[in-house]
Amino acid sequence: MYYKIIRNDIAKSKLISLTTMIFVAVAAMLVALSAILVVNLSSALDTLMKQAKTPHFMQMHIGDIDTARLREFATQNSDVEDFQVLEFLNIDGAQIIIGNRSFASNVQDNGFSIQSEKFDYLLDLDGKIINATDGELYVPLRYMKENDIKVGDKATISGKPFTVAGFLRDSQMNSMLSSSKRFLISKNDYAAIQSSGRIEYLIEFRLQDLSSLSAFETAYATAGLEANGPTITYPLFKMLNALTDGLMIAIILVVSLFVVAIAFMCVRFTLLAKIEEDYREIGVMKAIGLPVADIKKIYLAKYAAIAAIGSIIGFILSLLLKGMLLENIRLYMGESGDSFFALLFGVCGIVFVFLAMLAYVNGVLKRFRKISAAEAIRFGISQQQKINTKRFCLSSNRLFNTNIFLGIKDVLARKKLYATMLIVLVMAAFIIIVPLNLYNTISSNNFIKYMGIGNYDMRIDVQQTENIANKTEQILDAIHHDSSIAKHTVLTTKTFKAKMEDGTEQNIKIELGDHSIFPIEYSTGRAPASQHEIALSALNADELKKKIGDSMTLIIAGKEQNFTISGIYSDITNGGKTAKAMFTDHSANIMWSVFCLKFSDKALIRDRMAAYASHFPYAKVSAIHDYVIQTFGSTIDAVGKASRTAIAVALFIAILVTMLFMKMLVAKDRYAIAVMKALGFTNADITVQYAARSLFVLIISIVIGTLLANTLGGLLAGAVISSFGASSFTFSVNPIAAYLLCPLLMACSVLLATILSTSGAGKIKISDNIKE
Amino acid sequence: MKKIIIGDHIRKTFGEGQEKHTVLKDVSVEMNEGEFVAIMGPSGSGKSTLMYALSGMDSIDAGTVSFDGMELSAMSEQSLAELRRTKMGFVFQQPTLLKNLNILDNIILPSMRNHRTSVDNIKKKARALMKKVGISELEKRDITQVSGGQLQRAGICRALISNPQILFGDEPTGALNSKSAQEIMDIIAEINAQGTAVLLVTHDPKIAARTDRVLFMRDGEIVNDLHFNRSTDTSIDVKIEKLMVAMRKIGV
Repeated sequence: MYYKIIRNDIAKSKLISLTTMIFVAVAAMLVALSAILVVNLSSALDTLMKQAKTPHFMQMHIGDIDTARLREFATQNSDVEDFQVLEFLNIDGAQIIIGNRSFASNVQDNGFSIQSEKFDYLLDLDGKIINATDGELYVPLRYMKENDIKVGDKATISGKPFTVAGFLRDSQMNSMLSSSKRFLISKNDYAAIQSSGRIEYLIEFRLQDLSSLSAFETAYATAGLEANGPTITYPLFKMLNALTDGLMIAIILVVSLFVVAIAFMCVRFTLLAKIEEDYREIGVMKAIGLPVADIKKIYLAKYAAIAAIGSIIGFILSLLLKGMLLENIRLYMGESGDSFFALLFGVCGIVFVFLAMLAYVNGVLKRFRKISAAEAIRFGISQQQKINTKRFCLSSNRLFNTNIFLGIKDVLARKKLYATMLIVLVMAAFIIIVPLNLYNTISSNNFIKYMGIGNYDMRIDVQQTENIANKTEQILDAIHHDSSIAKHTVLTTKTFKAKMEDGTEQNIKIELGDHSIFPIEYSTGRAPASQHEIALSALNADELKKKIGDSMTLIIAGKEQNFTISGIYSDITNGGKTAKAMFTDHSANIMWSVFCLKFSDKALIRDRMAAYASHFPYAKVSAIHDYVIQTFGSTIDAVGKASRTAIAVALFIAILVTMLFMKMLVAKDRYAIAVMKALGFTNADITVQYAARSLFVLIISIVIGTLLANTLGGLLAGAVISSFGASSFTFSVNPIAAYLLCPLLMACSVLLATILSTSGAGKIKISDNIKE
Repeated sequence: MKKIIIGDHIRKTFGEGQEKHTVLKDVSVEMNEGEFVAIMGPSGSGKSTLMYALSGMDSIDAGTVSFDGMELSAMSEQSLAELRRTKMGFVFQQPTLLKNLNILDNIILPSMRNHRTSVDNIKKKARALMKKVGISELEKRDITQVSGGQLQRAGICRALISNPQILFGDEPTGALNSKSAQEIMDIIAEINAQGTAVLLVTHDPKIAARTDRVLFMRDGEIVNDLHFNRSTDTSIDVKIEKLMVAMRKIGV
């Protein structure tokens, strides 16, 4: 019997059943995909970290190192299984040329290593330990795609020729978020280029048991061993590796939640309409003594069928699509061993969606209990529906045309029914506005200010050369005689020793100069305004454990001086560890200096760039626009693409759901439409009434959606933006796009959908619906 | 006397193929201005269909219907709607009020469509009508808060709000008890007395006996056109007796 009822019911409402099924299928697909991805990610990551034997504890250190003392500590400590010190030869990007491209503008710390002997291996794409022979260069995987490097490309490192022999997986530094990258070369080649870079040491330990990690960390710290660089532990390596793909999985999960919510809304809407339609029958069934559970089953069965078919389709789709999304994980981490388990987990996800759907339908059907049999049979409609006809009366309406009034009135009278459409349209508005604002924010000129760069046109870098102070003076002199420059400043970076609270000293690079000319955005606080203030980059502030208003001690010309922290900012330059101050100093050597220039006419930039470059061959002249394009271009493009996709998807959802709702409404309101027509309302009147309903709901949706987008959406987007460097930001909104064009686009789509789907109202015959 | 409705050789079929069923077989009928007419007949005889065809609410397959000199089949959907709004009033068996609106709003709805008169005048008119049918105190009520008889009175007010030339009633008392039914018929008779033509469909001889003329239908045809004589048929009982005789004669 159920089969027959279900079949008839689905055949009667093909469009709505199909749409609900599509939403269930998409939701199931996304949930299954994220389940499959989670298992694959964690399994592939485990495999990678096992094969590479990632260190459990790693201390970076620059400068003198006492290896004998470290070995002594390792043998004394019973937790240590193995110990080694690796060298990381940090070479400036300008000295690295692969293919024909220089790494000069690369923001990573690029270092060269030889293969480790004990653990922390650099692996090839098959998970095997690489043995580099002379002349061979193995490049971090991350650069394969980013810099379009191929096996066989010629490379020059500090003047020495190499050939790219392959790519390597580095269980420590694979991640985009890790600020260093390791290249692998042979021992002989390493010895040959050793003098052209700066050696950093990676002091690494493997422990007997990972659970003793925190005890070991304390032991290492108290032993007073080498420790002037960051300390990274196994769990952090794991997190860094998982974050990029984890972020993708999180986004898929969030999207799938949206789709599940939309599927629920569709179900709720159709179910409520159906219950209303069948009110009398339900009353009769109750009156003749059918238990509520049995009546519910009839309705539940239909949705169980839809959800089951949708879930199966979703699962098949997820199997077809998973290869595409697993590509990244496979590339960076290798194959996962648990494909059966991943599949099982995917099935669990699908079953979860299916059960959630049933539970939801069951919840909506709870209202059966409240239906009074007598009332249902007598009136055929629920008498409990409290329709408020008091407040908004046609007789006192002076504002709206009657048709528009009737449209708005209907929405106000049947709020619960329209709530469904409202929620879906709010989501659509949200999906449109958040990516749009995000795109607008990161593509705006001001965005680089969140990244630690002021809003200027051109910069001249003087570094890696002799006698920087003199050269800086020469350039400064030229700038003073250049009338095309509207504003300029020169910032010189020097290294000072900062005194830590435990009495130890740490090197800190400080950019000195006037920071008010090209201000950047501070996460908290402001630029240093006096000789005794200093601003720290977020990474430095974290590492030094400093907040706004705290003081720190620097050693300048051998004397201790106290500074107050005036501000903290995000920075992606120089590994993110920078500081800004304005005191004058003649004691320390200049490490590099940077000129920031703004021209009175932007058209002059190219011309002046060429002039300065030829005049001062030792300086690196670059346009900020180029810098932005190089660093964020692909991200901006990707977000722009995502934003356009989001707009298309949201409009599609808005159109589909509006059509669905309006079609259902027309079917539901057949009788009222027939009455209207009998009273002399034309088909055009009816269409205007329905358009008024959907536009009224849409306007409320856009208002709520925009508010949500600017609050909740800001937080979400903040999470995305912080993943590539900026710790805090505010949306820069393009009001015309966000508050005019997008709402207009939505309004047109919704209006079109309404007109298309209410055309059926014209076909409703008065006599068929009123005649007794 | 001027004809308000002329139906000429009306034909109407429902269904297709084997299930094709002719509901009106070549029916011709005329109605004068201000006339009070009932259509009677057994279920399925085509009486409601005839009324819907004459009012332009249902299309016909052959023949013509003219209302006040205009041929309905030649009119656009918009002009037909305007005709219904301005010259016709409808009362149905179920009160057909919109549940979103209170009683007063329901009554003024048709004249609000394109109100040329001010809202205040429309409200004044509605209140006068409500007073006449005895539902003055209900104007702010929801339609679920009043009785069936009161709803039907509100329905009559709505039908009369635009001063129609004719009032169509499809069993307007069919869902009411006999006391309410008689009260409603009193109101309709009074409206007719003031010059509005009335065309009713009914099963009930007591209702039909309130009119001037009864059309008997059977199997899609008018089989008898009974005119009461205003001077001799003065009492309801006499009229009912005449109706019974006619009904026996045609076998209903």
